[in-house]
Amino acid sequence: MNHMYENLLALGVLIPLISFAILAFWGAKIGKPKSSYIACAAIGLSCIMATYVLIGWSGLDADQKADLTFAAANNQFHWADFGKIPLTVGVKLDSLTVIMFFMVTFIAFWIHFFSVGYMEGHSDEVDGQCKYHRFFAYLSLFCFSMLGLVISSSLLFMFIFWELVGLCSYLLIGFYFDKKFASDASMKAFITNRVGDFGFIVGLALVALYLGTFDLEQAAATFSQQFSASAAAGFDPAHSVGIFKGWNLYEMFGWGTETDPMMLSGLGVATLMGIGLFCGAMGKSAQFPLHVWLPDAMAGPTPVSALIHAATMVAAGVYLVARVFRLLTPEAQFFVAVIGCITLTITALIAIVQNDIKKVLAYSTLSQLGYMIFGMGVGAWVAALFHLMTHAFFKAMLFLGSGQVIEGCHHEQNIMKMGGLRKKMPFTCWTFFIGVLAIAGFGIPFAHIGLGGYFSKDEILVVAYERAYNHSHGESSAKHAGENLEKKDAESHVRLASMTDASLSQFSILNSTLAASGGDGSHAHGTPEKEKIGATLPHLPKWMFWLPIVIAYVTPFYMMRCWWLTFMGKPRDEHVYEHAHENWKMFVPLVVLAAGTFWCSFSLFRPMIAEAGGVAADAPAVVAIDGVAEELKDLPKNKLDPTMLMVTHGEGLTNFNNPHIALGWIVGFAWIIGMGFAWLIYRNGVAVARQIKQVFPLNHLHRWLEQKLYFDHIYDNMLVMGSRVVGTVCYTFDKWIVDGLVNLTGILTRFLGNFTGRQLDMPVKKNDFGLVDAIANGLAALFHDFFGSIIRRPQSGRIRSYVILTAGTAAVVLLLVLF
Amino acid sequence: MILAVGLNHYLVLSALIFSLGVLCMATKRNAIGILIGVELVLNAANINLVAFSKYNAGVGDGHIFAVFVILLAAAEAALAIAIFMNFYNTLRTIDVDRGDELRG
Amino acid sequence: MDDLAFYIFAAVSLLSAIGIVASSNIVRSAVCLLGTLGGVACLYFVLDANLLAVIQLIVYAGGTLVLMVFGIMLTSKSPWVGFRATRGQVAGAVLVAILMAVGISTLVLTAEWSQSANAPLKTSPSVAEVGEMLLTDYLVPFEVASVLLLVVMIGAAYLARTEK
Repeated sequence: MNHMYENLLALGVLIPLISFAILAFWGAKIGKPKSSYIACAAIGLSCIMATYVLIGWSGLDADQKADLTFAAANNQFHWADFGKIPLTVGVKLDSLTVIMFFMVTFIAFWIHFFSVGYMEGHSDEVDGQCKYHRFFAYLSLFCFSMLGLVISSSLLFMFIFWELVGLCSYLLIGFYFDKKFASDASMKAFITNRVGDFGFIVGLALVALYLGTFDLEQAAATFSQQFSASAAAGFDPAHSVGIFKGWNLYEMFGWGTETDPMMLSGLGVATLMGIGLFCGAMGKSAQFPLHVWLPDAMAGPTPVSALIHAATMVAAGVYLVARVFRLLTPEAQFFVAVIGCITLTITALIAIVQNDIKKVLAYSTLSQLGYMIFGMGVGAWVAALFHLMTHAFFKAMLFLGSGQVIEGCHHEQNIMKMGGLRKKMPFTCWTFFIGVLAIAGFGIPFAHIGLGGYFSKDEILVVAYERAYNHSHGESSAKHAGENLEKKDAESHVRLASMTDASLSQFSILNSTLAASGGDGSHAHGTPEKEKIGATLPHLPKWMFWLPIVIAYVTPFYMMRCWWLTFMGKPRDEHVYEHAHENWKMFVPLVVLAAGTFWCSFSLFRPMIAEAGGVAADAPAVVAIDGVAEELKDLPKNKLDPTMLMVTHGEGLTNFNNPHIALGWIVGFAWIIGMGFAWLIYRNGVAVARQIKQVFPLNHLHRWLEQKLYFDHIYDNMLVMGSRVVGTVCYTFDKWIVDGLVNLTGILTRFLGNFTGRQLDMPVKKNDFGLVDAIANGLAALFHDFFGSIIRRPQSGRIRSYVILTAGTAAVVLLLVLF
Repeated sequence: MILAVGLNHYLVLSALIFSLGVLCMATKRNAIGILIGVELVLNAANINLVAFSKYNAGVGDGHIFAVFVILLAAAEAALAIAIFMNFYNTLRTIDVDRGDELRG
Repeated sequence: MDDLAFYIFAAVSLLSAIGIVASSNIVRSAVCLLGTLGGVACLYFVLDANLLAVIQLIVYAGGTLVLMVFGIMLTSKSPWVGFRATRGQVAGAVLVAILMAVGISTLVLTAEWSQSANAPLKTSPSVAEVGEMLLTDYLVPFEVASVLLLVVMIGAAYLARTEK
């Protein structure tokens, strides 16, 4: 009973693997419709298990959950030792796992369902091999790896499943491998992901080196201990421990002098580790500058785009950041926030000018992922994950809707040629509209009514607001931070604090202030064992608050544009319009996911994620303001880490319990304004937009955006050309210098060999002596005449007879000896 | 578990795999099948080495030997494949029963 | 737990080995060989020989097996063609194999090993210890092996080239 949930989850991971094995080996025999049923049944079974676990889990109270988490952490299979580091396989069981597992299986099941209808017309044969079963085999493999990633308790296994997920993505993007653009896109995705994975490997190596474990829980505990110890020593590299010790650059590179070596601050190593791990997330979640692969990945079948490149795999990056959040130093978090902010801005801008319906969705996915990463970076752990969940639902639905449109319009993806489709495909039209509303952040400000994006995105923005504006008080010194807390200012994001050292040692890295701040313990849960070094977070530049706000207006605009051009207005291409039709197998999932979008916005996800958030509160620098800090306060004490501090929250927070009050006037009406603006421009077709495009500054801007800010060109010119130049240089070096040496050796050896060979071994010319040859010939003649004729007879020349004879003899001898 | 695993279990397993390897060598007419048989035999030997190291000697010698065996197996496979390529190029088949030109 | 693992992995290795012998299709044999090699690697894990297990996976399953598959692809116009041995040969071979299996099993079961054969004596050497032994006590074989590998590499490249 104690381990029931984790066993169920592990089983739920393995079922898709079984389905994959069946389809991979016997898929061709099983045939076209049946193989899809197997995959659907497998993921459906997993989904049922996930639902069961979810229901059971939400029925437990906090202590029981903590007990189960603890039990799962102690029920790990010890696989092998990696030096001194044990490699364990286990299930990480907490609210986040449960809810993520449910989300993945639920969405995956409906996308499987959708695929049955979609792939009927999309699985042409290549070289006489039907691709239909391969598609479902890959989908099953993907489900297996994604679920494995979700439940892994160790970073190493996360990495293994991470790579598997990347492989599946590669296989599925390149599903139409007979088409050049698809195979190119799959290659691009894979290679771009490798770049990020390299960072992940570096991060993993640093984790293994400095924290001595791959287990997430232990790594976080070690990290936080070292952080506390180092912070208590004032981050003096000489007295700091472990990962915070710093690198002596004199010893490494000879910089500085012996007595006064230049030290890279320990935070440098720790930050590097965090950034390395985040690099992996950058690859998978397609963050700037590795975002280029995701739009191209739309070359895969549309259900794949929905499942992998919108709902689950790209969210894996955010999930990873959430899992390693406790290993991120404040600087690393800042880095994460900057990357997220850049991504969400540029990709939203590019989305405005895209004409391919899937590309618009792809860029909007990128932008939303940017929001999540940005949320992680600013410390809005809960809000970012909440956004992940809501986004997964409505984005999967939007993609399936686009798949329905593409299928209905005979592979037409250009929204300029669509229009008026609402009459032909009403279900798709209105579910798509719900998706548009959800991503636009539809909601009624001040009334707490709205769809997914309204709650989650705005929460991220509230935290960003806190960081950018209310933070300034605590910036100058730790003393201020302490005072501010006593003033019960809105300094709630400072999680305090070390009570032992009131000496206010302070130091600053980048533009941040980390403070071991003093206090009397009244505002922290001040028992000595909970002492903790709190840190104020790096100051967030104001533009990092305003850019996401602006983009919150852009998002509804491009989504409305896409929807209106597709479904509303008059048909612009009669041919496409004639063909449009709906298929029930495909719109049922749409309706279900639309319902899911409504449902998850309100009830399910938010509290569970907030609950899991208590664990993340162990990070060196954490923000508890996510609107519901009170809930966090009541969390059970984390049993794995007795030093863990409860999240404190200042009184000032109460004003922000409802983010929509705080920011109601700023972004509350963004959806109306953005969508209205789009409606104004596009209500009569594309004519107005064409005129606008001609106006002077806009035409250049348009071309710039249309070329995706020339990122592909830059990469082509810099990276590809660069590696070509390096290649040419290496080739020349190899050709003339390395080969030259080798050839020289060869010539010398040949000369030597010629001499020894002819004189000592075998005569070639008339005067050569050929010592060995002479002896050998003599002996051979002898043997030929005498023994040859005797030994010759049993030699059949067949190797197998020799084997049998030898083995038989050996066996007989053995038995003779024994008996 | 009813049968507690000891040294003998490993040795018997190794004997079985060894015999299967010999069987494989004796029955396959495909040259690469024979090579596979050889690999089985070597693996059987390795299981012995490691099991003895664990149960009887308690030192790392068995591991070292096993490392060398694996190394030799790799080298042997590389050479064998090269020889088979030549074999194939000469006789246009991979059936070892055709390669009996060295018979007396 | 270890016992259960032994039985599972031993079964995997044995069944795959039987598969190798039984299938007349060389590609299937190669795939079964992967099963045996993997099973044996897992047995090494059970025997606490972590380094060996990893080497087994990398060199055998990763290297040698791939080499064999390449060999299969290069030496056969259609890999699915099987040559079968005659029944008489198979019967003889099976007889010999059974004799060997019985003989060796009897030998090992009746032999009296110097120490208690049912309890592991000591914790197995760690990777670091094996590495140290390789570079101290066994340095000469190690170096010889490296030279041998070089020779093999050159020899294989020489043998496998096509005459022009």
